[in-house]
Amino acid sequence: MRLHLNLLSLAIVSLVLLTSMSSVVASQDSLGPKITIQQTSGEKCILPPEEMRRQHPDLLKHDRIATLREGVRAKADGGKLDGSLKQCVNCHAIKDDSNKYVRIDNDQHFCVSCHKYAAVSIDCFQCHRDIPEGGGDFHTLSNHKGINYNAVVPGTYNLTVQDMANIVPEGYSDDK
Amino acid sequence: MKKLHFLEVEGNSLGYYAFLGLFSLIALIGILAAYYMEHNGHWVTGMSNQVIWGTPHVFAIFLIVAASGALNVASISSVFAKTAYKPLARLSGILAISLLSGGLVVLLLDLGRPDRLIVAMTQFNFVSIFTWNIFLYTGFMAIVGIYLWTMMDRPYNNLTKKAGLGAFIWRLILTTGTGSIFGFLISREAYDSALFAPMFVIMSFSFGLAFFILVLMGSYKYTHRALGDYMVNRLKNLLGVFVAAVLYFVLVYHVTNLYSADHRGVTLFVLADGGIYTFLFWVVQIVLGSLLPLALLYGPTGKNRTMIGLAAVLVIIGGMAQLYVIIVGGQAYPMHLFPGMEVSSSFYDGVVASYSPSLPEVLLGFGGFGVTLLLVTLAVAALKFLPDSLEDAIADPHGK
Amino acid sequence: MTSNINNEKQAEITSAETDSSRRNFVFGSIAAAGVTIAPGVMLYQTANARSLSDFSLKEGASSKVRWGMLVDTTKQVDWNKCVEACNKEHGLNNETHSRDDQKTQYIRVVDVKNKGTGHSMSLPVMCQHCESAPCVDVCPTGASMKRDDGIVLVDRHRCIGCRYCMMACPYKARSFVHEVLSDQKENTPRGKGCVESCNMCVNRIDNGLEPACVEASNEAIIFGDLNDPESKIAKLLKEFGGKQIRADLKLNPGVYYKGI
Repeated sequence: MRLHLNLLSLAIVSLVLLTSMSSVVASQDSLGPKITIQQTSGEKCILPPEEMRRQHPDLLKHDRIATLREGVRAKADGGKLDGSLKQCVNCHAIKDDSNKYVRIDNDQHFCVSCHKYAAVSIDCFQCHRDIPEGGGDFHTLSNHKGINYNAVVPGTYNLTVQDMANIVPEGYSDDK
Repeated sequence: MKKLHFLEVEGNSLGYYAFLGLFSLIALIGILAAYYMEHNGHWVTGMSNQVIWGTPHVFAIFLIVAASGALNVASISSVFAKTAYKPLARLSGILAISLLSGGLVVLLLDLGRPDRLIVAMTQFNFVSIFTWNIFLYTGFMAIVGIYLWTMMDRPYNNLTKKAGLGAFIWRLILTTGTGSIFGFLISREAYDSALFAPMFVIMSFSFGLAFFILVLMGSYKYTHRALGDYMVNRLKNLLGVFVAAVLYFVLVYHVTNLYSADHRGVTLFVLADGGIYTFLFWVVQIVLGSLLPLALLYGPTGKNRTMIGLAAVLVIIGGMAQLYVIIVGGQAYPMHLFPGMEVSSSFYDGVVASYSPSLPEVLLGFGGFGVTLLLVTLAVAALKFLPDSLEDAIADPHGK
Repeated sequence: MTSNINNEKQAEITSAETDSSRRNFVFGSIAAAGVTIAPGVMLYQTANARSLSDFSLKEGASSKVRWGMLVDTTKQVDWNKCVEACNKEHGLNNETHSRDDQKTQYIRVVDVKNKGTGHSMSLPVMCQHCESAPCVDVCPTGASMKRDDGIVLVDRHRCIGCRYCMMACPYKARSFVHEVLSDQKENTPRGKGCVESCNMCVNRIDNGLEPACVEASNEAIIFGDLNDPESKIAKLLKEFGGKQIRADLKLNPGVYYKGI
């Protein structure tokens, strides 16, 4: 008898919850402020946006294991984009009014804008670089394989890294 | 013989709240210090790429080693059937759990990424002694918990002996594991010795019992319960034996190392020309932490409670010094990339590394003691851990 | 005991495979839908004709390969060039708060002097990429790891900063990041609270390039596959021999030295 009563009350509670949920769905405007996701250069990502939104943590995690631990460096879509965080940053980097990339402490940063909205904290950028290196142009990057160290001069390094840090090469623009 | 009766400590008194407040404060300061270190990164500490483990590890390993030693009193009563120790078995168990908790708090808060504790609990490399220790520590908590239960829940009393045996074996393995953290390190001259495992076991006997005596005498004094000479004398005599045993192991360790040319350098460093480490070894560890307590315990002052308490405090200080010499001194002594050669580099090869403990490290370490004492204070008021009297008529099984 | 690691790794690979097959299905369908790849994009596999690029990295690191280095200490080389190249490649030496003894060094120049004979020399020392690496054995989480091709590196996603690997390394090859870092190089993520060390420029190797220090050394450091008897490094080692630092520990490092 008591079991029945419990079941009954459970059913009622669930019903109430369901109703309230559907009423929320019906009036989405009341969900609070909406986020505007920053648009990037328009090239296609490895998955449609809806799927990326849902799956990017799994994809990144998969790739980090494959790349770091297994040494698999294959491109994700068979040639162009690799599934690395570096790739995400290179395509999705946002610039501020002075044509400088915004860093991870800025709410406009692509990852931050959404993660802050969703209140999900990430620690990726404690280690990973948060903006592209140099111009961040994907095409130049994929041809550019690495620095040549044949003629490195001792004692030259400290200047370059600090200077290079947040500077976008002249003439670089997102509109091609 | 009067009947033994366990009773909670009165938790609703000013004195109790004062102790609770004091220990909470020490623990809180420790945690704030850890937050400061983690927020800034370890550059605010004295630790470096040369001295990798610093003061927090000295405290943490002391507490962890003492934890398994604190369980000894219980083991003597249920494994070795010495009924005289039975009244103290419950305190022994809860103190073991509390010490281990305090030590683990310090160890975890000194990690570079304490936020990733979940990684340590889900991703295991079973070749690592650290991984074994993770299981040894959690298992220790569980087994001692069960052991306490069998002691405190009358229907299960008949299981106490079995649970006690399990806990005793487990604590031996645990301290072996802790000692092996260093014993298995081939890289550094000071470590790389199988002697570390038994030496840590005997160190745990000594440190744990010293801490136990202090907590016992302190709690009986401040709760105005009777603590007879019979019990105290047994414990202090036992402590003396353990202190002497540690001395024996230290002697063997250094003599064997002196004999092998491979390890002679670091031994001479500790014994003769290690500066602060030599001072800590001879003055604090040997004289203050071993010889003086032996004199206090077995000499004419052997009946004096204050002197027994002082001896226990000195054993703890000596133990900390011993661990400091092992952990920090062992790292400060340079590694031999090219044995027999003189080496130097920008990465401090071939030189004795400098290390001075920073305030946050020390505060975090004391925070571990704070956590331990806080847990004990809470436990003795919540459950029946302490006999309401340990006067000789109750404590002495051969008394009238 | 090794089998435990293997099992763990196996489990990971299996889950990775499941994931990738799901993704391949998705990518396959995108390709079928006619998404064109922009022109002008070169596949890295064909971009460089060096022997390194013969290894298909679509398959991942292979246990048939054992990358190694041979350092010729008899050559008159400014080893600081190697340090410089390493710092540049990995974006090191960018700490702002750390004391000198807290700063990261992947590679350092060690001066060795024999007190008896008076003979002295300099040589670069970095992670020796041991076959039986103590850092890999002692790491509680498996963050310190050895790739199938013998490269020892730290998986910072798993590193909890316990620093046991630093205690265990007989070459003092590892550093702990003591402060918050920014402006990392995109190929070398590094950050506060994790341990790091020379990773043999794994990003360059996987792209068909030689490690930075090798390139900067004017051929005083030879890089190659120790397992391939036809490789330059294997031939040189066979002809002239090479010594490993602390060979007595029997860790079988992948870095050999000539003239020590």
